[in-house]
Amino acid sequence: MEVPTNAIEVTCYHTWMGKDGVGRTKVKLGADVTLKEAKENSDAVNSFYKGDKFPLLIDARGIRSMTRDARNQFSLKGRESGVKAFAIIIDSTISKVVGNFFMGINKPIVPARLFTNEEEALVWLKSIDNS
Amino acid sequence: MASEEIKYADKRANEILEVVMAYARLDFKQKISITNKEDVFDSIGTGVNMLGEELEGSTISLREKEQLLKEVHHRVKNNLQIISSLLNLQSDNFQDERFLAMIRESKNRINSMALIHEMLYIAKDFSQINMSDYIVKLSQSVYQSFNAKDSSIAFEYDIDESLFLEIDRMIPIGLILNEIISNSLKYAFPAKKGTIKFCLKEKKGNICFTISDDGIGIPKDFDYSQTKSLGVQLIPMLCDQIDAGLTINSERGTCYDLCFKALMLS
Repeated sequence: MEVPTNAIEVTCYHTWMGKDGVGRTKVKLGADVTLKEAKENSDAVNSFYKGDKFPLLIDARGIRSMTRDARNQFSLKGRESGVKAFAIIIDSTISKVVGNFFMGINKPIVPARLFTNEEEALVWLKSIDNS
Repeated sequence: MASEEIKYADKRANEILEVVMAYARLDFKQKISITNKEDVFDSIGTGVNMLGEELEGSTISLREKEQLLKEVHHRVKNNLQIISSLLNLQSDNFQDERFLAMIRESKNRINSMALIHEMLYIAKDFSQINMSDYIVKLSQSVYQSFNAKDSSIAFEYDIDESLFLEIDRMIPIGLILNEIISNSLKYAFPAKKGTIKFCLKEKKGNICFTISDDGIGIPKDFDYSQTKSLGVQLIPMLCDQIDAGLTINSERGTCYDLCFKALMLS
């Protein structure tokens, strides 16, 4: 996932809106995400909300850890206002562990799925967007 | 595997084990350190750290709920005691023995329920009551309410101390017990001398509770279905409520046999 020059950069994430209407957020390599960084990311994602909810592609590859407060921020609070579905891209075993928490313990209220492939993730997000 | 790798794996595995054991002791201060290697130990460590946070959160939430439940039982018990005190105040201006006896009976019924809530907020387990403790405390409380200083009525207990009962069935049992003890104290011992025995055992999945006295027994012409006594009417009604079998024997003194399931079926 190539980060464009106009992406919003905060402590642990780059965030931008794709031309296809899918929001994108990419975690920085070795990021330790706490509540502060999660809120920064939520604010960045929600800044793209203009009245219509949009699907969000999260590239979690490279994450090192995420605290409980941060997971709750993502699953319970920050993103629901603007996001209609999450696709989380994982590949390293750490990102798989973190991603799986969002499938159970920290399940978001919007549809969410894990992917190891960006193209498949986009196909699923667009199918949700069109449904 | 090279010896350095074995040492590394051993060190990381032991670190993870230490943290898992700390979490088992509900010590959540420890965390597994995550390196930049992104190896399997880092992944397991991340998962264990996250599960530890969730366990800590759930433990705190459970403690808060327990505290709340404790508070509820405390308040219910206090409110029941206020009702009991109001009845006391109400009776202060009356001399009529029948009215005073009615007030005492009502107070004892309320106290039999208040005692359960008191025991629940003191106990560690809020869902069930130790039957032995309850029977001893309630019987003594009812005896004191009769202010029978000049009588020598003894209580004998043969009770399995390991038996517990959930609150939903303990309240009817408490009310039944209260009525039986009250009846014995009121009618069984005109000479103000005798014994009331309590026997509680578990037999083949059933709890058998026998309350007997060696008093004068129930008159032969006594008709349970025709009596106007609320106490006597309450006993079979409350037995029905908890699906308990009831046998009353009045050959030597009076003996009530209650039998009900030890475990509540869901």
